[in-house]
Amino acid sequence: MNIELSDDAAEYGRQARRALEAAGGDQLAQRAAQDPVLRESLLSPVLRELGAWDLAPREDAAELEAAAALCRSAGYWAVPYPVAERLARPADIDADGLVVVARPRLAAAVAGLRMRWAAVTIDGQRSIAVARRPAGFPLGNAFVAELELEHVDARGAKDAALGLVLPCWTLLGMLDRAIDLTRAHVLVREQFGRPLAAFQAVQFQLTDAEVERSGLDVLAAYALWSVQVGGEDALADALALRLAALEAAEVVFRIAHQLHGAIGFCDEAPLSWLSRHSQPVRRLPLGLSATRQQLAGRLGRRGLTGLFSGQAQPEVPAL
Amino acid sequence: MSEAATELRAELRALVSEYIPEGFLGAFTDDPADLETAQRFCRVLAERGLLCLAWPRQYGGAGASPWEQTVVREEMWAHHEPRGAQYMGVNWVGPAIMRHGTPEQQQTHLAAIARGEVIWCQGFSEPNAGSDLASVQTAARRDGGRWLVSGQKIWTSYATIAQWCFLLARTARGEKKQHGLTIFLVPMTRPGIEVRPIRCMMGPHHLNEVFLTDVPVTGADVLGNVDEGWKVVQQVLSFERVGIARYARCERLLHAAPSVLGDEWQALPEELKGRWARMLVHCRRARLLAYRVVATQSRGRVQPGDAAAYRIAVTKLDQDTAEVLLDIIGQASLGSPEARLFRLAVDDHWRYSQASTVSSGSIEMQRILLSRSMLAPA
Repeated sequence: MNIELSDDAAEYGRQARRALEAAGGDQLAQRAAQDPVLRESLLSPVLRELGAWDLAPREDAAELEAAAALCRSAGYWAVPYPVAERLARPADIDADGLVVVARPRLAAAVAGLRMRWAAVTIDGQRSIAVARRPAGFPLGNAFVAELELEHVDARGAKDAALGLVLPCWTLLGMLDRAIDLTRAHVLVREQFGRPLAAFQAVQFQLTDAEVERSGLDVLAAYALWSVQVGGEDALADALALRLAALEAAEVVFRIAHQLHGAIGFCDEAPLSWLSRHSQPVRRLPLGLSATRQQLAGRLGRRGLTGLFSGQAQPEVPAL
Repeated sequence: MSEAATELRAELRALVSEYIPEGFLGAFTDDPADLETAQRFCRVLAERGLLCLAWPRQYGGAGASPWEQTVVREEMWAHHEPRGAQYMGVNWVGPAIMRHGTPEQQQTHLAAIARGEVIWCQGFSEPNAGSDLASVQTAARRDGGRWLVSGQKIWTSYATIAQWCFLLARTARGEKKQHGLTIFLVPMTRPGIEVRPIRCMMGPHHLNEVFLTDVPVTGADVLGNVDEGWKVVQQVLSFERVGIARYARCERLLHAAPSVLGDEWQALPEELKGRWARMLVHCRRARLLAYRVVATQSRGRVQPGDAAAYRIAVTKLDQDTAEVLLDIIGQASLGSPEARLFRLAVDDHWRYSQASTVSSGSIEMQRILLSRSMLAPA
């Protein structure tokens, strides 16, 4: 098992974060919101420079880790581009990217991009997906488009696992940023003559957020390892990760907004953009309740693989 | 390394299966046979060199890796800690004596702990010094070439059955309350020690008051240096950084539920099965957070924030799991003998879990540690 990225992948993630900052950082989401058609031209050059589309996450464990690190860095800046979805593109369908979908709402955050998409359901039904042009881009929409599907085959079990896991890395990056922003805010903002960080009520809320973020961190590495191994557990592990990611996001963003106060809702505050752009990955293809229901259904009586599940598994992390 | 840990897990499970009766819920029940079971199990572990596995070889240990120690923590807690109270001697009393003890103290105590023959209690908490431990008032006053210790300890687990006490007392008033504290290793048979049990929801032996009235101690009883006991206390607490592997018992009980309930499992509300699945995810989360702490430590680094985050996650897991398990058994008839044992185990788990955010460093103390680490200058 694995509970952290390799040094190389972590370093690639750091470089990606710096490159995305240099390409616009917080401004990326704001500029894309003003003109969604700019998304491609804003992001393509820097992602190409980072070698994003040369990564082969399905073929090589190291490149899968690099892909995850890139998703995390993209999440950190709320990059308005489906990085995880493009990295998950299937090997055997002619498509630029892969989205996981679930009825009744077939949709993904791929509006305004001229690309060919593949879609997969949780039970592995694969399709070609065409994004309908949205009527507009309201502030909370974050580039979501409804999809029309044309069935291809039912061989997408592995696609579904990868397609669920990589966006969770994007969400993890968003939580990293939400906590960094909140930490910085409470250290500077003063009330009653003291920084907010001096109040224990504030400190304890921050720790609640951090417990969620760090728990997601280790689960994300575990699920990535499971996808790479490609065993029967991969899909359940991916759903388990998604469940933890959605719970964590709810806690972290609620605390981040609360501790920011009114400034956190303003367009001048990066949290406002981050929080809005976290919505598609948190609601699509499955929200919290639907994810839990899917997971419970898949686990049946067996449970997750662990210390007492009866299945063989490596005892300790490979470090 | 992974192979050694796997073999150790199998060996421990085989020993538990051979020596621990079905339905065992720990050493501290109203049935004295349970305590005897635990004492016998410690001797069995000691004979096989498994009791003090983590200790260096020169002190009778096997120099086990941090991962093997993790397996021991998981298997013992999952099976209701069949070492009884002796885990304390193994986990932190012994290591503290290795580091700070005189050759005579090492000779007296380490071999006895390694043979599984001795129970220790921890004389730390007082009525007005819990989380704020440095505020202890129990005082040792000079009386010629010795001290006389007077004061009161409380919440002292296993004091009724312990042979020795790892006693924290004030020997001087310093500028800071952390100064002037001393650790004494005191046999519980010394005159002036009176133990009064406190009945509680976890069962007997867990909580006691210890009254000390002019208990004589000498320089030979001092561990480390006089007035520098706080340093020892801090190290003792750091030995327990990862703490109890609570996730292991949660996982064992959660995994057992569907087979114990049999056909009735299908009839459970879907929402409850969803909560069950969620708790399994949280078990995994806590286990991986523990592994992160172990991995960091084995690289010789310490990140107190990580340990605190784990302990917050695992203690909340303990309580959340208890609620879900109680809801599950509340929906089932549980008529078979196996099911009745399961009900008792779940009930036991719920009672213990109420203390998980209080004992061994409250969740508030963990939050303080974590927030300090988060808010420290980068």
